[in-house]
Amino acid sequence: MPMTDALLSSVEQLFSLATLASMMIGVMAGVVAAAIPGFTITMAIVLTLPVTFTMPPLQGVATMLAVYVGGGSGGLISAALLGIPGTPSAVATTFDAYPMARKGEPGRALALGIWASFFGALVSAVVLIVAAPPLAMIAVKLGPWEYFSLILFAVTVVASLVGKSILKGLMMSLLGLFIATVGQDPMMGVPRFTFGADVLAAGIPFLVVLIGIFAVSQLASEVENPTALQRGESLVSGNMHFRPFTVMREVLSRPGNLLRSSLLGVVIGAVPGAGGSIANLIAYDQAKRASKTPERFGTGIADGVVASESGNSATAGGGLIPMIALGIPGSAVDAVLMAALMVQGISVGPRLIMDSADLVYGMFLAMFLAAGMVLAFCLISMRWFLRITEIPKSIIVPVVLVCCAVGALALNNRITDLYLLVGVGLVGYLLAKLDYPLAPLVLGVILGPIAETNLRRALMADEDWTLFFTRPISAALLLLAVLSVAFTVRRLLQQRAIARA
Amino acid sequence: MSKTTDMASRPEREASSERGKALANVIFNAALAALFVGLFVQAGDLPSSMWEPLGAGSFPRLILGALVIFNLAIVVQSALALRQTDPATRVGAGRWFVQRRLAFATLAAFCVYALLMPWIGFALASLLFLLAVQVILGARRGRRLLIACLVATVFGLGLYALFSHVFLISLPSGHLW
Repeated sequence: MPMTDALLSSVEQLFSLATLASMMIGVMAGVVAAAIPGFTITMAIVLTLPVTFTMPPLQGVATMLAVYVGGGSGGLISAALLGIPGTPSAVATTFDAYPMARKGEPGRALALGIWASFFGALVSAVVLIVAAPPLAMIAVKLGPWEYFSLILFAVTVVASLVGKSILKGLMMSLLGLFIATVGQDPMMGVPRFTFGADVLAAGIPFLVVLIGIFAVSQLASEVENPTALQRGESLVSGNMHFRPFTVMREVLSRPGNLLRSSLLGVVIGAVPGAGGSIANLIAYDQAKRASKTPERFGTGIADGVVASESGNSATAGGGLIPMIALGIPGSAVDAVLMAALMVQGISVGPRLIMDSADLVYGMFLAMFLAAGMVLAFCLISMRWFLRITEIPKSIIVPVVLVCCAVGALALNNRITDLYLLVGVGLVGYLLAKLDYPLAPLVLGVILGPIAETNLRRALMADEDWTLFFTRPISAALLLLAVLSVAFTVRRLLQQRAIARA
Repeated sequence: MSKTTDMASRPEREASSERGKALANVIFNAALAALFVGLFVQAGDLPSSMWEPLGAGSFPRLILGALVIFNLAIVVQSALALRQTDPATRVGAGRWFVQRRLAFATLAAFCVYALLMPWIGFALASLLFLLAVQVILGARRGRRLLIACLVATVFGLGLYALFSHVFLISLPSGHLW
């Protein structure tokens, strides 16, 4: 399909009433969900998935993107008004937005964050459009050797980025890869490790793992502390004054900070495993270093809010780059988006952009559209935000758990998936309590079948296994994998030495 | 908020939680290593293929082999950490569970919910689960209990109606009726 045709077709699908309406609902749901402390963006996306099963592909993905982009802004609300990050992506936002709100400018703090999120999302959508197609062109030429090495690289990067122990990180990645082998073998259809049990016969679907790990076990951690369940009074009082356009000029008068933080967000988003929760802290740190008045950071200045919020919003577009170009999801959220496409029968990989160009352009456009909708929704509804954050956890947790059950059931309409969900949730909770990072596990489960298929294809094409080391791109990726582990080990040893001294 | 309460009781808890974690890691990884060795042996029986050098069992064996190595490495690391802690302090496993009783109670309720659902159906199971967990988490009387009942009814029946009538995804209706 020529590019203009694809573009027009995607515009036609995207600007239908049904799609616009479901995107708008998605944006609201994303903002509201992320504003509630304890309810993460990933949970919101995971719970949106079953709803999209009956929609056409583009409408489904556009709705999920709307939730994603909305979630990027929602975390700011509780960060600014309560000093509690609504999601891990908004941790750095509390550093300056909350003091600003306490000083009597809650309206300004919110408006700054909303505009910064909007521009961050715009920048990331532009980078995505520029970067993804050429990368896909290269990726199509990669053989199974390169793909296998790429996955090894992705897995080691994730394992080294999260958590305090690389041994535990790598162990979790491997455990994920192993969990993916339960069920039918991807090439011959032989049942593996099922022990004749019905529960395991169909394997452990990665969405069940995803919901179990990122929602069920996370929610269990939320209700640990009995005293924290009685939520306090809101700490910010005073009148909310909104001057959206004055604040817009204030944000745009910091082009350097805005662009640097957004680009950092894009790059961090594109690295597997890293995401909004890291981007906001790094963007904030970099803005502080670049600032002429670093000592004022943390006292409630606009630069801090802008850096954190544009940084975390920009990861949305960045994370889509490896998913669209390589078929490898960079984060849990991208994995859910990928699952949404796979449920619709669309194979995700470097050929996606050629085979379903209208869908990919539609996703690009949906990013812009969603950013605009979030802006409009937030600016209109800011007055009521404070009420959202007051919903107690004793209501949120059971309701979201029921939604998790719906998600697991809707997937294949199998009650055994629900049993698996309970099991994964419990195991995930215990693993988290023992300080095992959970993101590598989930990514391992997702990448497992891709890794195995490519390894076996490579050896089918040529029995010589040294090709993994002699083909240049494959060798380079393997080297990067080794380096990512080596650097992490060095960093951890240095930290330990400092801690001892 | 959980941070502040954690810090308050930190000095006396620090040592015992370190020790508990190290011990738990040793036991957990040793058990996993044993399990994976068993699975490694079992994977040897998986059929090979005429068409490819690697059969169904090779990739799992590769992963399982690597897993065992990592498990043993963590066992060694945790055992060394365990030796550095003060053996006089108690592991505090009981208190660990008591402190997280609400989380375990919620997970247990979720488990019962999953087991009941095929029998009594999604709508009723969800209603009971929503009510039970809200009561567990503190909605015991008065206005909060009233809200809990309301939330349970609206979401239990509402989600069922929404998914079966609007999104056309059928949820279990129950064997019993």
